[in-house]
Amino acid sequence: MCAMTSRQRMLTALTRSGIPDRLPVTTHHVMLYFLDKYMNGISYPEFFDTFGLDAYVWTVPYKPDEARGEYFDPNQTFIHPLDHTHRIVSDCWRIETESILDIQHKTTRYRFVTPKGTLSMVLQGNEYTDWVVEYLVKDKRDIDLIAEYVTHPRCDIESVNQTATAFAERGLVRGHICYFDVYGQPGCWQDAVELVGMERLILETYDDPDWVHELLKILQARKQTFIQSLKGARYDLLELGGGAASSTVISPKIFDEFVAPYDCRLIEQAHEVGQRIVYHTCGGMMPFLERIAAMKPDAMETLTPTGMGGDMRLSEAKRRIGDQVCMIGGFDQFHYFVGCTPAETRAEVRRCFEETGSNGGYILSPSDHFFDADLDLLRAFADEAHQCKYESVGL
Amino acid sequence: MSEQLLQDIRQGIIEGNAKLVPQKVQAALDAGLPPGKILTEGMISAMAEVGRLYEEGEYFVPEMLIAARAMKQGLAILKPHLVNANVQPVGKVIAGSVQGDLHDIGKNLVALMLEGAGFEIQDLGVDVSPQKFVDTVRAGNANIVAMSALLTTTMPRMKDTVEALKAAGLRDKVKIIIGGAPVTEAYAREIGADGYSPDASQAVGLAKSLVGSA
Repeated sequence: MCAMTSRQRMLTALTRSGIPDRLPVTTHHVMLYFLDKYMNGISYPEFFDTFGLDAYVWTVPYKPDEARGEYFDPNQTFIHPLDHTHRIVSDCWRIETESILDIQHKTTRYRFVTPKGTLSMVLQGNEYTDWVVEYLVKDKRDIDLIAEYVTHPRCDIESVNQTATAFAERGLVRGHICYFDVYGQPGCWQDAVELVGMERLILETYDDPDWVHELLKILQARKQTFIQSLKGARYDLLELGGGAASSTVISPKIFDEFVAPYDCRLIEQAHEVGQRIVYHTCGGMMPFLERIAAMKPDAMETLTPTGMGGDMRLSEAKRRIGDQVCMIGGFDQFHYFVGCTPAETRAEVRRCFEETGSNGGYILSPSDHFFDADLDLLRAFADEAHQCKYESVGL
Repeated sequence: MSEQLLQDIRQGIIEGNAKLVPQKVQAALDAGLPPGKILTEGMISAMAEVGRLYEEGEYFVPEMLIAARAMKQGLAILKPHLVNANVQPVGKVIAGSVQGDLHDIGKNLVALMLEGAGFEIQDLGVDVSPQKFVDTVRAGNANIVAMSALLTTTMPRMKDTVEALKAAGLRDKVKIIIGGAPVTEAYAREIGADGYSPDASQAVGLAKSLVGSA
């Protein structure tokens, strides 16, 4: 078989339109922490080139609708090089930041200022990640302010398409469905969790389900605006979902009532404007495989293995949903990017390939982020994937 | 009638009926049922069934949460009577999510399930430093320290806490159990913990075995 470009290889797997020339291999978001600590701060493209990985370029640029009085948030001083997202605000939805002195962690209070009141949340962060220490929604009626005043970001299609042109055959152009300003997740339920708190939101599904639905509809409407703006954007893949709807934390009942109805509609709308969706779930997935597949995403990730806190059984998952979606992930980066031999890393690549690779439709990737990695093991990871040829193993 | 009340308490907890359970607990007390009997046959038995349903894959975290909440509401009514009747806890557990980890749902569930099994819980919350664990062990008479970590980047704080307890001369005073998404049995052995539990339900059996009441 002739060698494919990274883009051809990944698209072949993603669309399940044939068998790639070899196993496509990539990573999830590459962390700035890793690039700075281990690779002298090289860029994302340089990272992929260094290891010969099939590449993503991530980009989620917004464009303000000036006719609606929107503009870029002047208080956002850091535009992340991963997604290039500059928040959209208006005179009725202003975001103010306040650094709070904390000896341990960088701590910031964000205030969302509207004509009828101000909401606030507090985030902390370290060199690895950020987290919520004070949730935005305190009183249930706080969601009224969100409903009335939150801006609905739209995609800067021109910027996305310039990125796509420049990236050409190097790999796939990837983004995500918008999430709540400052901190959130692409899926509706998952976004709500970041505003309310997981435990409280779960309990409210029992105590006040109508209120939960009200919040989910508000968040869904914002994502729908974003999706509608995607027509003509040359994305190859957009992420929906997030870590808060895995079987580790919610039940089939909650998935059926509070996750699927909202995200299924978003997937449908994304398809209507010519976009593909990967549904992201960190943690347990096995009880939900068919439920996620039934929403008709184009791909499912992260396929978190048991060694990383998930429950993935790749062969079984392939058998159950491999004919419906492209599968992305499955590699145990915690145990095979550090503290093992290259031979063990290679064996883990082979395991993933042999269990999941039949008929294509699989992209090897670590199951979500990694922060620390032995560069020799990364090389072994990529090199072994290069040697995974479908015809040679009867897959 | 007493058996019916115990069954109502039990079923109320299993179904997560937080309004019904305290009412039935009060009714059981009013009917003269011994507090210890209400605890063991009504509440602990219910939480054991909840744990079984979770391990069988019928219940998930949300069902455990509402069951534990119902249990806790009932326990609030029962507790003063347990003290008066000198009903002793099975053991005392210090629980916390380790330093740098703000995730608490797993830790909360473990604490609730252990409480439902008759343990007394001192919940230190999240982002608990090794020194805080040490100070709390030193100040009390806990049998078990239960640590949770949801991130691979915070897991090393579990080892730091074990080492801190050793350095403080307190390691032999407590049993240490750990859990959380990235945590494994092998990691527990590696850092010298006494046990690992993959979920809140199995944490109960583990804790009981470590205090010798399994």
